[in-house]
Amino acid sequence: MFFALTDDQREFDATVRGYLAERFDLDAVRAVVEDTDGDGHPASLWKAAGEQGWLAVLVPEEHDGLGLGLVAAQVIARALGAGAAPGPWRGTVLAAEAVRLAGSDDQKGSWLPRFAAGEAVGAITLRGGAPGVLPAVEYGAVADVVVARSGGGLALVEGARATPRGSYDGTTRLADLDAGEGAALPGATAEVVDDLAARATVLVAADLVGVAREAITRTVAYDRERQQFGVPVGSFQAIKHALADLHVGVTMAEHAALYAAHAVDERLPDAPLAVSVAKAKASDVALQATAAMIQYHGGIGYTWEHEAHFFYKRAKRLAGQWGDADAHREKIADLTMP
Amino acid sequence: MDLTYTAAEEEFRRELRSWLRANIPEEWTRPGFWESLDADESFRLRRDWERDKAEAGFAGIAWPTEYGGRGGTPGMKAIYDEEMVRANAPRTANGLGLTFLAPTVMAIGTDAQKKEIIGPMLRNEVIWCQGFSEPGAGSDLAAISTRGVRDGSAASDDFVVNGQKVWTTNAVHGDKIFTLVRTEPGSQRHRGLSMLLIDMHQSGVDARPLKQMSGASEFGEVFFDDARVPATDCLGEIGEGWRTAMLLLSFERGASGIAQYTEFRRQYDEIAAVAKRLGRDRDPVVRAKLARVLTELECLRLHAMHVLTQVEQGRDLGFEASMTKLQWSETYQDLWEVFDDVLGEDATLDAIDGLDLRPLHAQAMWSRSVTIWGGSSQVQRNVTAERVLGLPR
Repeated sequence: MFFALTDDQREFDATVRGYLAERFDLDAVRAVVEDTDGDGHPASLWKAAGEQGWLAVLVPEEHDGLGLGLVAAQVIARALGAGAAPGPWRGTVLAAEAVRLAGSDDQKGSWLPRFAAGEAVGAITLRGGAPGVLPAVEYGAVADVVVARSGGGLALVEGARATPRGSYDGTTRLADLDAGEGAALPGATAEVVDDLAARATVLVAADLVGVAREAITRTVAYDRERQQFGVPVGSFQAIKHALADLHVGVTMAEHAALYAAHAVDERLPDAPLAVSVAKAKASDVALQATAAMIQYHGGIGYTWEHEAHFFYKRAKRLAGQWGDADAHREKIADLTMP
Repeated sequence: MDLTYTAAEEEFRRELRSWLRANIPEEWTRPGFWESLDADESFRLRRDWERDKAEAGFAGIAWPTEYGGRGGTPGMKAIYDEEMVRANAPRTANGLGLTFLAPTVMAIGTDAQKKEIIGPMLRNEVIWCQGFSEPGAGSDLAAISTRGVRDGSAASDDFVVNGQKVWTTNAVHGDKIFTLVRTEPGSQRHRGLSMLLIDMHQSGVDARPLKQMSGASEFGEVFFDDARVPATDCLGEIGEGWRTAMLLLSFERGASGIAQYTEFRRQYDEIAAVAKRLGRDRDPVVRAKLARVLTELECLRLHAMHVLTQVEQGRDLGFEASMTKLQWSETYQDLWEVFDDVLGEDATLDAIDGLDLRPLHAQAMWSRSVTIWGGSSQVQRNVTAERVLGLPR
């Protein structure tokens, strides 16, 4: 029995977190958030993602990738969530997954090395269909190609016309895409679309888990120091018990995201249940933890100057993506009460 | 990631399954069978069956062979716990001894204690009780007032013990009780305590059952009135009882989470089946509540795999045990609250449409206790906040 990250996976985690701490901290995130005219896609971060293998993680080695599994990818997603990092990492990794799972040999040879190196930016949506309008696509405005529904399957659409959409989560940029027909991905059966959606759901859950853990960690650090009534506010049981419950909840969500990634990669029979458990749990705890982050910082937590709103708003955005907690609970009910 | 067991562990599972299949009478697994017996008869059956199981080699699974254990792996212990639940095997008659006392004796007992305590416990010749809580010392365990006074005047060197313990599991069926006693007169809090191993079959010890809100009597009270215990029957050093108690409680962790998941998941399926039978399974609110509990149950399963991994890696889980307790006990309680939601306006009825609900109600009542015993949820939250998160005391 070994239910844990391997040493290699831990090292990957430390690399991503180390880079963000030193080179793209919350001041850098703030600069992106406040640059409302910008594209939300900082070049330095993207360069690092390409050079350090964050984008190559799931691309097979024969296409210049690292050929690692979804467990490693969820490690990166979690670290990016913890750093509230902006940019089209997830869209690009998932577009590459779509090509890997359903693309022709030519499509794989053409796209996968470029995705892996960060030379092409990808996006994905299962809302709307091509040709037509694809609403509120993450980083649609900077994507070279978007994976979208087309007919009964999926297509790779280039050259879509982008109209930015305002969104209060400044760490994730959105755009409506007016998409042409694109090129069909020939292997995109219903099963492959489900698999792709499961992978997307796991990576979003992992990001939320990273957000939630960071919210708790920062709140604990603050409440150990902040004094009221002559004592640290973290010495009050009203706060202790809430943070203890959140710590348990976030830990469970960490387990759930880790297991879901493994279950999807290994095609375990309970993978659909594992994915829904992970997303339901991660969505709930991220919303709870980021709301608690504001509450247990007091007034300062409600200000623009404080970082709590980056995490809170990111949680609000991602909790609803690829099925919110209620939608996944309905799936869980379907799976366990036939 | 490797979520499988080794070939040797799976072979152990096959052996155990086959023994359990051959040795659990069919009628024992029928709903309501154990409830139909009187408490003494039920206890005797369980005690004897467990002895036979130990003699067949299915006890002390991960204990060293020198203590009569099987010398197995933590994985085998997890498999054992899981298979016992799956087979509807009778509950252990000696849980506090097996879970807590035996590993503590192995760790710090004298050679004589190791020899005299562990073997007879495995064979259920001695049923052990735990004497920790008192009427004035519940969550505040250090407030213990049961006192032991050294009486060196007699031919033997005894402690004379006076006081009362409460919430004692198996109180009326116990043979011996490991008891936290204040042995230094006037000592305060954690100091001056000793873990005395007291024979319950003496005139100075009186055990009485306590009737629980479910109507059952699984625990009781133990009164000490000039009870005597030789000073050599102390586990750990005299005056170091708190240290012994903390070591002892640390053995609560381990691999049992997978078995708990197996048991709770079966109960979830039972509740879902009742929902279906009553036509409540299409109610979106009921479905959402059941799914919420199922989510937490799945997290419990994964947490158990995490714990087992840490144990196999030889890591000390420390205060993480508080998180484990919170997750299983709160989830278990939530599960049975959903059961009431499933029944709706008929929540308290003994039966609906010929469906006997009393065994399920008994579980639901029991669920109120699990967030209290073994450290209440409030205590576990304090421990998690202070010892794990590092919030100030």
